[in-house]
Amino acid sequence: MFLAWSEIKRNKLRFLLITSILLLVSFLVFFLSGLANGLASMNREAVDNWDADAIVLTEESDKSLYQSSLDKDLADELGAKETAVVSQMGSIVNNGDAKKNVLLFGINKDEFITPKLSEGDPTFYVQNGVVASDALKDDGFKIGDTLELSSSDTELTIVGFTEKARFNAAPVLYMKLNDLQKIKFGESYEMNKNMVNAIIIKDSKWINLDIPKDTEIIKSETFIENLPGYTEQNLTVTYMIYFLFVISAAIVAIFLYVLTVQKISMFGLMKAQGISSSYLAKSVVAQTFILALIGVVLGFGLTLLAGSFLPSAVPVQFDLPAMLSYGLVLIAVSIAGAVISVWTIIRIDPLKAIGG
Amino acid sequence: MVLELRNAKKTFGEGNTLVEALKETNFLVERGELVAVIGPSGSGKSTFLTVAGGLQSPSEGQVIINGNELSQLNEKQRSKIRLQEIGFILQASNLVPFLSVDQQLELLNKVKKNNISRVEKKQLYEDLGITKLHKKYPSDLSGGERQRVAIAKALFSNPSIILADEPTASLDSDRAFEVMELLQHETKSKQTATIVVTHDTRLIKYFDKVYKMTDGVLTLDTTIYE
Ligand SMILES: Nc1ncnc2c1ncn2[C@@H]1O[C@H](COP(=O)(O)OP(=O)(O)O)[C@@H](O)[C@H]1O
Ligand SMILES: [Mg+2]
Repeated sequence: MFLAWSEIKRNKLRFLLITSILLLVSFLVFFLSGLANGLASMNREAVDNWDADAIVLTEESDKSLYQSSLDKDLADELGAKETAVVSQMGSIVNNGDAKKNVLLFGINKDEFITPKLSEGDPTFYVQNGVVASDALKDDGFKIGDTLELSSSDTELTIVGFTEKARFNAAPVLYMKLNDLQKIKFGESYEMNKNMVNAIIIKDSKWINLDIPKDTEIIKSETFIENLPGYTEQNLTVTYMIYFLFVISAAIVAIFLYVLTVQKISMFGLMKAQGISSSYLAKSVVAQTFILALIGVVLGFGLTLLAGSFLPSAVPVQFDLPAMLSYGLVLIAVSIAGAVISVWTIIRIDPLKAIGG
Repeated sequence: MVLELRNAKKTFGEGNTLVEALKETNFLVERGELVAVIGPSGSGKSTFLTVAGGLQSPSEGQVIINGNELSQLNEKQRSKIRLQEIGFILQASNLVPFLSVDQQLELLNKVKKNNISRVEKKQLYEDLGITKLHKKYPSDLSGGERQRVAIAKALFSNPSIILADEPTASLDSDRAFEVMELLQHETKSKQTATIVVTHDTRLIKYFDKVYKMTDGVLTLDTTIYE
């Protein structure tokens, strides 16, 4: 540590360069992790908020909520601890000022996915009242707004807002099941009023449930992973982060190697004087650790600072535990980058330094 | 005796390319003795010094330091002997460029045992005339000052043997004499066995014994005392 720190203090500029590169890389990693998290939330936060264990869909729907259609009476026949039915319909709502692509979720009151209100009237079961995702507030929607629907003459009224209610990148509007069924099926309402898209299950032993032949029951997480584009999007950003890990390991490795090569005769001399390879190697590792730690901490601060200036439309959402683990990985890969240098130091022959 | 070479020999390469850098050598040095090894470039002086200092093993024969036969020890133990028993002084760039004079010694303090006490260190600084330099970095020191710091480093862990390879090569005459006087003084006061390799014959007056190295053959030179 002594040797490592003394050298950094003496050659500030040199080490400032590598630290600032690490700072930028960690900034990018943190930002991408925020983006990954934000994009994931856009897709899944409504489902996460339900806190459900599993979901029943028709088998031929291929795990798509939109394609699935089953009888809501099935919910009672399953014998699960708690169930909730969902009927869904995509639409564009217009409050006169703004238009927004949304998902309408028809639900039964008192079933467990009923949203908690962050704002508004808890008795949202007025005719055609909706509880909207508070993401809509950013677009200027407010309580009392009358919403025109793109596909129907029925008008909806916002009676409340709820947090964390986006699904597959669209804000969700929760409403009374029957109101939605009327809008959704129009003239064929009577024939279809019992048909919902899915039954949501809250029962840790869901795997044992008996389900009809043409349906399937899947874990919530599986359901989310099968949302259109979700896995692809996630993998893309995740791979970008992994590449950044590789890049930062490479940058650190090259930089340290150049520094080490410059110091070969000095290291040889120290070895001749009896200073062990392991002391010198530890010093290089300590140096890397100091630089990586400073870079990552500054990158972390810069990320939070930059995040606070972002417009809300940017789907960046920082997840501190994830950032912390990415930061640790960055420090770890940086130290891995020091391995070549350590190996070089171990191989230095002290005789060469003295060489007559 | 502190250091002894018994029938020690060092060869490089084989067959046509065989070089006998150090031919069969017997050599002894005692505590408090300041010994010179003088010879032209390429004669085998550095080879002799590095074999004696345990930095390379002899091809044949034995090197004994304070009763330890080096070939009986593994590399780790040899490194320990170097650390505890031997102080090296080299031609140039003996110092770590990014450490101040104080820090050079602090580094040794961290890795070495049986270092000199605080009071002794102060005395050493004064003896070597580097008290005022303690905060300076090598790049701010003159050649002579650097060699004096190098001597301080070599003496810091109370070695029984000091091996110096051309310690005055980068210095002008006055500085060279100064450095030799210091080495002489420290050899006597600390009772170290000091071997100085040089090709500078002007320094002869400082030594108790002078050996000549010619083509790998080491011979005690008695003519200089006549
Ligand atoms: N590692 C080595 N490999 C091959 N030859 C060497 C090696 N080290 C020294 N020599 C040879 O041994 C001879 C003595 O070298 P050296 O001890 O360095 O001489 P000096 O220090 O007196 O100039 C030279 O001919 C040199 O080329
Ligand atoms: Mg030499």
